Amino acid sequence: MITSQLISYFNETINDHDRFVEQWKRTSGGKVIGFLLTDVPEELIHAAGFFPYGICGSNVGQERVDAHLQNWACSLVRSSFALALQGRLDFLDGLIIPQTCDTTRMVSGIWKHARPLPLMENYLLPRQVDRPSARTYLVGELTRLKGRLENYRGTVITNDEISKSISLYNSNRKLLRRIFSLHEQNPECISNRNLYALIRAALIMPREILNDHLRQLVDALQQDCQSSSAAAQTRLIISGSVIEPLEILDYIDQAGGVVVGDDLQNGWRYIEADVRESGDPLEALADYQINRIPFAAYDTVSNPRRHFLVHLASQKQAQGVIFLHLKYCETENYDYYDNMQAFNKISIPTLRIETEFGGSSMGQLSTRVQAFMEMVGGEV
Amino acid sequence: MSKKNAFKTTGLMKELMANYYAKGVEAKKNGIPVAWVTAVFPVELLYAAGLFPYYPENFGAMAGARKVANQLSEVAETKGYFNDLCAYARCGIGDAYADEHPVGKIIKPDLLLCCNTQCGSLPKWFEAAGRFYNAPYFLLDSPQIVEQPDQLCKQYFVDQLKEMVSFIEEITGKPYDYDRLSEVLALSNEACRLWNEILDSAALKPAPFGFFDACFHMAPIVTWRGTPEAVTYYRALKDEVDERLNKGVYAIPDERYKIYFDHIPVWPKLRWFSDLFANHGALVVASQYTHSWAYSFDLNRPLESLAENYTEQFVNRSFNYRIQLKINFMEKYGVDGFVLFSNRSCKPNAFGLYDKHKVISQKTGLPGVVFDADMSDLRFFSENQVKTRLETFFEQLS
Ligand code: SF4
Repeated sequence: MITSQLISYFNETINDHDRFVEQWKRTSGGKVIGFLLTDVPEELIHAAGFFPYGICGSNVGQERVDAHLQNWACSLVRSSFALALQGRLDFLDGLIIPQTCDTTRMVSGIWKHARPLPLMENYLLPRQVDRPSARTYLVGELTRLKGRLENYRGTVITNDEISKSISLYNSNRKLLRRIFSLHEQNPECISNRNLYALIRAALIMPREILNDHLRQLVDALQQDCQSSSAAAQTRLIISGSVIEPLEILDYIDQAGGVVVGDDLQNGWRYIEADVRESGDPLEALADYQINRIPFAAYDTVSNPRRHFLVHLASQKQAQGVIFLHLKYCETENYDYYDNMQAFNKISIPTLRIETEFGGSSMGQLSTRVQAFMEMVGGEV
Repeated sequence: MSKKNAFKTTGLMKELMANYYAKGVEAKKNGIPVAWVTAVFPVELLYAAGLFPYYPENFGAMAGARKVANQLSEVAETKGYFNDLCAYARCGIGDAYADEHPVGKIIKPDLLLCCNTQCGSLPKWFEAAGRFYNAPYFLLDSPQIVEQPDQLCKQYFVDQLKEMVSFIEEITGKPYDYDRLSEVLALSNEACRLWNEILDSAALKPAPFGFFDACFHMAPIVTWRGTPEAVTYYRALKDEVDERLNKGVYAIPDERYKIYFDHIPVWPKLRWFSDLFANHGALVVASQYTHSWAYSFDLNRPLESLAENYTEQFVNRSFNYRIQLKINFMEKYGVDGFVLFSNRSCKPNAFGLYDKHKVISQKTGLPGVVFDADMSDLRFFSENQVKTRLETFFEQLS
């Protein structure tokens, strides 16, 4: 297939993801384990033989949540829960919620109460990662989670199975990183919007199918993208929890911007590193988690988030930074002032945009992005 | 808690708390490290090491009670901290940047020690404060106990306590004194025992002491726990409660109903609430909040025991446990109804209350109500709305 066909395939899949998963389930007879956000060890779920499905929020039906959760909870969690309440996640056999903030920590019990599933688990990741205790604990937590998955499937998960899943996920991240770098070199070949759509597709598609299409896409892109168009573009970093709404990327595309890095849970942070393929696989997963790009749920002492961001910006020669924050996301808000100051110090302009699933005004968003891009682009 | 009915011990408490802040200021002068700590934190370890523990949450509550939370919060808001954050944090951050200090200046930390059993706001606030004051930050991480306490999480906490002891040793330059820790733990046990005996008197009918009194008298159990001062204070308060019982002086004049209340009070409206309840013959008798300080340490296994006491707190428990705990309190105190405060500041305690309300009503058959407000920030308090809700609830009682 040629580039445009492959890209439309991915876009159609994310637009129609319920149908895609239901169809997958019918044909494969497999089980789907949902998860919130992207720190959950998908490799482990996959090793158990299940399809890990990332719940990405939605734009409709949040009013159903009001009876269970205050409207000052973040819209990612509210709208994801809304999908369950609307019956739009009925294909799930299980759900794993990582406890990264108070909202994820508390919604887990509410969800289990209102919409129980055969397998409901929390992923209790450590929220400090700098001291030796964190790693020992995390290996223990991964072992616990593995035990729960084993109970559910009825047999032991072997190290060999986990290692295979790790390789599969690594190869997926490699492909996505390859596309990310093609995008950086030649954004005209693969736009911001399409790049992030691919990462979103990774959350909702089985890796086997995904990798197959991504490989074709890499080949097609390598043929199509011989020249480089990056020089003419304004280089941007996005910082926040998730990319929402995807339309913001269209506005950046239209204004001649290229996103060259982020710390988003469904962006660069999701694909940036691989899990070690040697030694004990659970220890490898623990090391991977501990060394991930810092995010608001835990700031590390050894690699504080603002240092990470400043470093990323200078390494990528970014000209501007967009803080893309979800309303009511407390953890992001606590970091904002100091992150913003860190960029002020090195004279990189920043823009903070607050969005909500199902509640963002596109006109306003487009105007603000455009104005910022003019300001930043003007400085080149 | 009406004015004329005030406890004599109140004077002692004011003295004690003034003393506490004075001690903090003095510690700074004398080069004793001031460590910021969180409310549910093994503070015994610090008292034993001779550090001065300072509770910025208490500062936040004070700002709330004195009705200046909005003022301090607005300073934080100009920096880009939003009013959706916990009001205690907003007050603390606001005071750091403010030129005016309506509740006195928050004491600057030399180190920040945070335990996240309570919430995710505290670590984020302390991280920000650590950057502002340029002081080292240490997180005691406590994963939620989703079902039963397990060895994995307990061991993780014990390991971290050891890491923290090393961290303290580095700061003080002295080896840690475990004998002293035993003494401090014994003092904490005694203060908690007395405090809980006082709280239990609310079960008597009529009762000499209720939740609003407890809110007023709880500062020493939070801040002075582990010192002889706390023991002396709660002994005096206990004596006064006993004396009142003998004389037939009760918390409210005409107690007809007992009520369970969840969780933190609306600080700037404490009197308004207590009068409203009293006017309906309703005494609030228990709350998981005031009852949190019920530690009991085993001196033979200090670190394990600290880990159990601090991680197994309700604040670190999940949905079903919290429901059961509330029901247990309701049964123990023989309540006639329950009020759940959906506190905009405190997501970990507010989220889930809508469903819990239904489950508790179903299980106990008691009338209950949920109201929305903020514990400190009056911009989120609608007097009419809250009053209407509570009036409807009072009608259901009779
Ligand atoms: S009020 Fe709630 S959110 Fe604020 S510090 Fe206390 S427990 Fe944390």
